[in-house]
Amino acid sequence: MRTHVAALLLGATVFASGAAGMATGAGDTGRLALPTYSQAYTPTTVDERGVWMEADEDERRLRESPSVIRDPALNAYVRGVLCRTVGDDRCRSVRIYIERVPAFNASMAPNGTMIVWSGLLLRVRNEAELGAILGHEFGHFELRHSVLGFRNRRSGTDLMAWASILIRNSGDIQYAAIGQIYAFDRAQEREADMIGFRYLARSCYPGSAAADVWDHIMGESDATALGRRGRAQHKYVAGFFASHPTELARATYLRAASLGIAEAKSVVVDTHQAAMAAWLPIFLNDQIKLNDFGGSEYILANLAAGSGWTTPLLYARGELYRERGNPRDLVSAAQFYQEAIGRGDAPVEAYRGLGLALLRNQQAAEGQAALATYLRLKPAAPDAALIATLVSQ
Amino acid sequence: MSITYRTGLSALAVFALAAPAMAGNTLIPPGLRVAVAKSAMTVVPSIEWNKLGARPGRNSESWTQDGDDLNDLTFYGGIEAGRPLFREVDKKNQPLPKVSATMLITDIPVLLENSYRVALGAASFKVDLVEPLPFAGNKGVRFTYSFSKQNETLQRRGEARGAVIAGKLYLITYEAPGLYYYDRSAAAFRAVAESVRL
Ligand SMILES: [Zn+2]
Repeated sequence: MRTHVAALLLGATVFASGAAGMATGAGDTGRLALPTYSQAYTPTTVDERGVWMEADEDERRLRESPSVIRDPALNAYVRGVLCRTVGDDRCRSVRIYIERVPAFNASMAPNGTMIVWSGLLLRVRNEAELGAILGHEFGHFELRHSVLGFRNRRSGTDLMAWASILIRNSGDIQYAAIGQIYAFDRAQEREADMIGFRYLARSCYPGSAAADVWDHIMGESDATALGRRGRAQHKYVAGFFASHPTELARATYLRAASLGIAEAKSVVVDTHQAAMAAWLPIFLNDQIKLNDFGGSEYILANLAAGSGWTTPLLYARGELYRERGNPRDLVSAAQFYQEAIGRGDAPVEAYRGLGLALLRNQQAAEGQAALATYLRLKPAAPDAALIATLVSQ
Repeated sequence: MSITYRTGLSALAVFALAAPAMAGNTLIPPGLRVAVAKSAMTVVPSIEWNKLGARPGRNSESWTQDGDDLNDLTFYGGIEAGRPLFREVDKKNQPLPKVSATMLITDIPVLLENSYRVALGAASFKVDLVEPLPFAGNKGVRFTYSFSKQNETLQRRGEARGAVIAGKLYLITYEAPGLYYYDRSAAAFRAVAESVRL
């Protein structure tokens, strides 16, 4: 444990002393300086060329994959955030693929292929948090980590391999169209974190967003454990830290870095919620089906902390509670559906959920009334005949 | 239902249910009523099936024509409340959803979908059609679905019929690749499903 703490503090100290040397606004540019960026790097060694060929082959498969989300608006949004984070020059060398995989991850291959999982888009609350992760991935690319460390790859996926929370959902690796995503060692992760932080600090986004993401990932991990085992793990304090100085270390040095710079940025108009509007219900549904009540509840609450309890969040919460289905859950579920309905823009399915929750809670008459409303509003619903049997019983 | 079981973190696969040539398979002759899934559930097949030696779980069994990856008929014979539909794949990190005694018939497709999403990494599971259909004289559900397994572009189709009877889940599923194999044995599946008695 001591070793890890020492390494962590050293990292923070190096950064802080760098910051101390340049206190002026002009100095900000200096200490957050980026390496000179060379466009269109081409592989030189035989090993490198081999890695690139594989990356090209992976990308060809990715292009055909049914799991890739092709919605131009969502793709344009994610690209826009990357470009605003790393700058237009750097951004040009990246091709982004959004995969519908309900786990927190992103990765980048040496040929410029960036993969973003829908579970990442679900978990970030604003452009800055998304930019923090995309910047981290771009950092690996710019520093050519995957090329240098390619012999170690095939053993995990970038954020996922390093972030212990994702070990819980490691099976999700299996969702991905391509199996080999590049794994980096801890030193490279830190380098990617810090160059990612510098992109963010130089961008229009607040540098604190990077630490925010990792704080929330830790919170989610604890919530998952609490939901599954009925007790908190507290694994991010004390003993756990010794063997897994992962998210906590990350959040700590990124937080220290963001406190070390004086940011006076004007607040940008954040388009994250608008860009996600069409996809949020779909990504929430994918999450809720993973049988992770605690983690899903945490994600919902975290999103609500940013946007308030919007209709899609209330509806998803109703579904989450109804599917777990303890008697008290059914009462809560009915309340969430009713709140969603009360807001006036709920999907018709909110009446379905309400009716089924009430029915399961032995409130037959109210349940049947809600189901009847669902059938009246959506007579051609795919499950209309089945629901009708519950109304008439 | 056929799962490629994973070990720990890695994607190393252990094939729990493999080809029909595997030891322990038995032939189920047509025309005779047989008890299935170590339960009171009985059916009469219209053609010969291979019963796989490996079971997806305690109260279940699988039949196939050409191998369980090509056509798979699985019986779940009264899964009790608190138990998963089939054997846990990674209980600690990715526990399966459990059967509930208060399940409605609308919850049956959801349980199958969520179990597959967790166990198979089936990111694109989709229920296509749902309709009421009596199951062994009880109020039941019939539904069709499509999905693909992890790292597979092959689209699979499925059809299932089930009911919750006295707090236990009874379900029969049929799955095959959408192209060719699904249609090939679908009629034989339906003959089995329609003969079900408890
Ligand atoms: Zn990384």
